[in-house]
Amino acid sequence: MSTAHQEGDLEVRSLVRVFGTGDGAVRAVDDVSFRAPAGRLTGFVGGNGAGKTSTMRMIMGVLAPTSGETLVDGRPITATDRRAFGYMPEERGLYPKQAVLDQLVYLGRLRGIPAPAARAEILGHLERLGLADRAKDHVEKLSLGNQQRVQIIAALMGAPRALILDEPFSGLDPAAVDGMADLLREHTARGVPVLFSSHQLDLVERLCERLVILRRGQVVADGAPAELAARGTVRHRLVLSGDAGWVRGMPGVRAVDVDGPVALVELSDDGAGRALLHSALERGDVREFSPVRPSLTEIYREVAA
Amino acid sequence: MRGSNDSPAWLIVTQREIVARVMNKAYLFGLLITVLLIAGIAGFFAWQSQQTDSYDVAVTAGDELAVTAAEQAAAQLRDGGELTVHEVADAYAARTALEDETADVWLRSGADGWTLSGWREPSGSLTQLLTPVVERVTVAERAEVLGTSFDELAAGGDLDTERLDGGDVDPGVVQFASFALAFLFFMGAIGSGQMIAASVVEEKQSRLVEIIASAVPLRQVLAGKVLGNSVIALAQNVLFASVGLVGLALTDFKAAVPAMTASLGWFVIFFTVGFVAVAALYAMAGALASRLEDLQGTTAPMSVVLMAVYLTTFGADGTLERVLSFVPVTSIVSMPVRVLSGAADWWEPVVALLLLAAFAVGVVLVSERAYRRALLQTGGRVGWRQALRAR
Repeated sequence: MSTAHQEGDLEVRSLVRVFGTGDGAVRAVDDVSFRAPAGRLTGFVGGNGAGKTSTMRMIMGVLAPTSGETLVDGRPITATDRRAFGYMPEERGLYPKQAVLDQLVYLGRLRGIPAPAARAEILGHLERLGLADRAKDHVEKLSLGNQQRVQIIAALMGAPRALILDEPFSGLDPAAVDGMADLLREHTARGVPVLFSSHQLDLVERLCERLVILRRGQVVADGAPAELAARGTVRHRLVLSGDAGWVRGMPGVRAVDVDGPVALVELSDDGAGRALLHSALERGDVREFSPVRPSLTEIYREVAA
Repeated sequence: MRGSNDSPAWLIVTQREIVARVMNKAYLFGLLITVLLIAGIAGFFAWQSQQTDSYDVAVTAGDELAVTAAEQAAAQLRDGGELTVHEVADAYAARTALEDETADVWLRSGADGWTLSGWREPSGSLTQLLTPVVERVTVAERAEVLGTSFDELAAGGDLDTERLDGGDVDPGVVQFASFALAFLFFMGAIGSGQMIAASVVEEKQSRLVEIIASAVPLRQVLAGKVLGNSVIALAQNVLFASVGLVGLALTDFKAAVPAMTASLGWFVIFFTVGFVAVAALYAMAGALASRLEDLQGTTAPMSVVLMAVYLTTFGADGTLERVLSFVPVTSIVSMPVRVLSGAADWWEPVVALLLLAAFAVGVVLVSERAYRRALLQTGGRVGWRQALRAR
């Protein structure tokens, strides 16, 4: 993780949240530090109870941290900053018996957007998401997917300075996921940090430029997907002309899998690699000797298991 | 883009609370029912006061005393009703008249006393009317035998009533008013209170409150909710009071309208101030619940207190009433009632109002903290004690 600050970066530092007291106390968020850089989509990944939602709620100021800090531009986030953040909470809900447009205008006004400007912007968003003709409908008459679109509009309006979205893609079909991703990229293009949580790793890997993996309240991996993959334990594939069973006896070499002339090995250091290759050439031809990069899914299993 | 020229957050919340309520069909329906109920009660009393009783009294020919008594009773009724005397030939004709309903009763004098017969039990109000008349006719007859007259015997036996407190309102009206005000208070406080609690838990349950809380201070949200709902409660009570007063003007109690208007005016002021406290407590009760289903439990203490206020105030009199008229919350009902009955000095409602206002401020401060603490706590009901505990 680079230490250079960039204008607009969102950061959490040594964040801790303990629920309950005494023996029943649970450290839901346990010394979490990471950065969601400005202009980047940062994916926040982890299983149920990993602490994603609690961390996001602390960033939005609706949950008090036990200790630690939430920062923007390198200084503590204030109520004024948060007023300009777009937030989508974990559970989906709006006023069921109020018209879509009316309640979006209400939420916009609470965030300081004058009613006419809010109305114009909301109508634009509704148009774009194919909901223009539902503006006057009560929210309860909308399908769940459409309710989610209305909620995302609530977070996106007023050109927010940061977006904190809890599971924004859950329940969307693939086409809707792409539409939503395009929408989010428009905001990163403005130089805004976007932090979203998900438990769908493939989606996060495909969409985001940065990844924070959380497990039991702790950050277990943090970086660009390619960077993380490079950091994972690199294995080597060795293909020989004869049987490769002998690699099992080599010092500094762990044979993960041996199948006839093909061996998958983990090397303790570069010297072990040289020694292995040397021995192999003494015994015959070496058809292949190459590093194997693990997929993100494998890393995720490894770190979040 | 983000202008500061828009309204402050509390005002935006106030507006939404009012608009959302006015658009709520269930609320409007309930309001209509209540207005119809009040108009109906007033209408019933008005109709009843315009009802004139009419009686047909049969007397046997030759029963001079009975004829005299019936005629005197008819004269006494005057505009309150009508009494027609039917002379029938004999006892058999009288029975027939009763059976075929040409007469309601048959009045006859006798050596051992008078008898009033009806085909069924004679009407109570007619019996009440005839009893003193019969007595008077009997005494007058004996007086004549003794060489004197009824007037001479009865001279100096009149009983006049006078009232020294200077009030001029019928105690019946005061009693009715205390019932009506207690009812208005109870309905207004419980009804509007539940609405606030429901709107708070709706926001909490859907996590909308997290979006709102990250945008504006929750203190302002609470202020907007309390204010918006107080405006609604005020408007609602003004509406009920107006319908009630118009109704009252149509009844026999129309003389009480000016005094009643003053009393209702005090009630509206007291209620508005007191409702601020009630609204804040209900908002807190809403914040304690985590789902709509929990509301009944978290608002139960409020319901009990309001029910107690209702029950103690409408029956109270004497010292108890005087004390209640100063104690916050019960003063909302008891002080306007004392103003109506003329029992309160001018300064008393002012002092009671100041006490109530101080109480409201205290309650708002306490419940504001609990509201903020409980509102963002997810998962399960939060206890009153837990929310109120300082940290």
